[in-house]
Amino acid sequence: MITQKTLPRRTFLRGVGSAAIALPFLDAMAPALRASTIPGGAPVRMAFFYVPNGMIMDAWNPTYEGKFQELPRSLKPLEPFKDDILQISNLTHNTGRALLDGAGDHGRCCGSYLTGVQVKKSLTEIKGSVSFDQLVANEVGKQTRFPSLELGMEDARQAGDCDSGYSCAYTNNLAWRGESQPLPPMLDPRALFERLFGTGQPMTPEQRKRQAIYRRSILDFVTDSTHKLESSLGPTDRRKLDEYLSAIRQVEIQLERAEKDTRPIEPGMDKPYGIPADFSEHFKLMSDMIAIAFQADQTRIVTFLMTREGSSRPYRELDIPDGHHPLTHHRNLPDLMEKVRKINEYHVRQFASFIEKMKATKEADGTLLDNSMIVYGAGLSDGNAHLHEDLPTLIAGRGGNYIKTGRRMVVRRETPMCNLFLTMMDRMGVHTEKFGDSTGRLQGLDLG
Amino acid sequence: MQFAKGKPSAGAFFDSDFASIDSVLATAMLFGLQGKNDCRVAILTVSRPNLAVVGFADAVERFYKGPAGNFSQVPPIGMRTDGAAGDTSAAFTIPFQKKNTDGNAVYTNQVKSVIDTGDPNTLIRNYLEAQYDQNAFFVMGGPASNLAAALEFSGMTDLISQKIKYLVMSAGSFDGESVDSRIKADIPAARKVFAEWPTPIVVCGSEIGPNLPFPGASIDKEFAEAVHDNPIADAYRAYQTMPYDAPSRDVAAALYAGRPQEGYFKLSGNGTVTVDQSGRTSFVPSANGKHQYLISDPAQKEKILKTYVEITSAKPVPPRRFKPADAADEKPKETPPPK
Repeated sequence: MITQKTLPRRTFLRGVGSAAIALPFLDAMAPALRASTIPGGAPVRMAFFYVPNGMIMDAWNPTYEGKFQELPRSLKPLEPFKDDILQISNLTHNTGRALLDGAGDHGRCCGSYLTGVQVKKSLTEIKGSVSFDQLVANEVGKQTRFPSLELGMEDARQAGDCDSGYSCAYTNNLAWRGESQPLPPMLDPRALFERLFGTGQPMTPEQRKRQAIYRRSILDFVTDSTHKLESSLGPTDRRKLDEYLSAIRQVEIQLERAEKDTRPIEPGMDKPYGIPADFSEHFKLMSDMIAIAFQADQTRIVTFLMTREGSSRPYRELDIPDGHHPLTHHRNLPDLMEKVRKINEYHVRQFASFIEKMKATKEADGTLLDNSMIVYGAGLSDGNAHLHEDLPTLIAGRGGNYIKTGRRMVVRRETPMCNLFLTMMDRMGVHTEKFGDSTGRLQGLDLG
Repeated sequence: MQFAKGKPSAGAFFDSDFASIDSVLATAMLFGLQGKNDCRVAILTVSRPNLAVVGFADAVERFYKGPAGNFSQVPPIGMRTDGAAGDTSAAFTIPFQKKNTDGNAVYTNQVKSVIDTGDPNTLIRNYLEAQYDQNAFFVMGGPASNLAAALEFSGMTDLISQKIKYLVMSAGSFDGESVDSRIKADIPAARKVFAEWPTPIVVCGSEIGPNLPFPGASIDKEFAEAVHDNPIADAYRAYQTMPYDAPSRDVAAALYAGRPQEGYFKLSGNGTVTVDQSGRTSFVPSANGKHQYLISDPAQKEKILKTYVEITSAKPVPPRRFKPADAADEKPKETPPPK
């Protein structure tokens, strides 16, 4: 129930049953925020969007350094947002390399990506380290409903051999809570929706069915408290609230459509219930909910494994029936390389749609994107050669008016990726002198 | 691709100021020894901030290692970013002017700025981690600045102890009189390395080089017969008016490091090297000392010079790829997603 004139940041629209909708940042919350511990108004959010199997680097790296001019092909979908992104070249994950462990670059590169350590080559004795997003979540996560969200779109198996003796626990997770505790990503959009807007407990199939029969939106359950809140808000906040609730309704509609769609995802292979067969629809659902979760400050930390490392998913929507991973071992054959470029560009196009939404969402004096650091990256650069240097890395957003975007920044070769993580941790308010194989903080994010 | 199984030959780390043709020949010696499977060159680091020199070292590395290929990379050259850049010999610039019959440059300088180089400490750390325990050696030919900085780097001393079997320092003098300019260039660094480097050190003093003049005539004979365009040979020609035989102390250090058991040199007993305030090195024998120094053996001179030519002029042989004996295939399992 809304009883205060100044809204607390942690206000929910509550309704009958388990419905609970966190609110976005509203002007009416500003006085409360000014008195809170959050510096500068809106908090800084951080997300990682990971793509597997490396890239065709000639279509990823511009031929120049500094202010963006013509974007390379894989980045073209980000053209409308090129003033909002910073591309960083030459970051390296030495711990993804073989060192003395032989084959298994896919398992290693994903396992080391956020942990900064070389993971143990094993199918049964899983060993990595606490990932840096979780170090941040341990501190910052106390201020939000969910310390972090771990999301994915393809495969959350935690056992089996996914790469030359590396467990699937390494290829299928980004976030690690402990050295032997990877955090499996949530793949099901409905489960995510219920987590964000329910009690946190997924509905049983019967409950879902009952809700579907009555075709009721979660917004219907909070109608009374919505009306009460609206009556106490100014016109700007009313518009913000309306846009926010409309976004939630759009997600619901997409979910319902996905649940009605029973097309097989592959010939002879049934589609998991509720998961859209179409990659871009699935991505849109998940990423829309990330934006809502950020907007409502439900969490400030998200890791998103767009597809698992080593993925052999075909891209029939691009007329590419070949598996992604086999294609990346293209042996420099032009037609195979071209298919990989198309897949790389397709992934970035999905990401661009998310960035568009983040940029369109107003918050405080700027946008949700301004207050975020959304990293898009891969654990391999050249997937054909399995290289672990010059890892494709870009950051969308300014991390709270800090990062100077609109340019390509090239750092010294072999600069540890963990140096970037140290700097990002600073921006999230968590300070430490070393993480993984860092050699210091990455300088220059704030220099135009 | 053919894989060798088990333990590879020793990893070679070479740090130098590349102030003379001697350092260039020493690089050729290490890569030549790699071709004979006596070592595998891990990285090269340069102890002065001179992009022209680093650009040449990079071209040499690519000449021997070839382009980055499947599952292999050509690491950047490590470069110190403080201190003086020093002189740039024509040996490091003239080769880039060489054109082939199509009018294209034979060698390309890919080092345009500091971002094309690597931080020496990070490189040394990263490439030491890829070595089996006690299966690597370090050769230093120049001031000790980079090695002293490495000893300051978090965790490096333990890593060096674990991975490196010995350091061969081409620095210092043991004729009782001379002050080696390499020591004098960074006396605190030399002192630190002699005092704190955790492995045995074998020193190749300045008296070794003049006793072993590199056979310059081989440049237009054995080198030319092996490979038409060789940056080592082109640098040699550009370094000084031909013909000349260059003193070869760094080459000697590299040869000893790659083949310590061959008996090319005599060794002093164990002891400790100290550096005084003027940069003069002294050796004090002691049974527990970790230091030794090389002593020329006139009986070996002819054999050494013959070996010099044979190894340094050889055609590049890329390092063999190793994998542990129990390693599985490279290919990730192609399993369908769960239903």
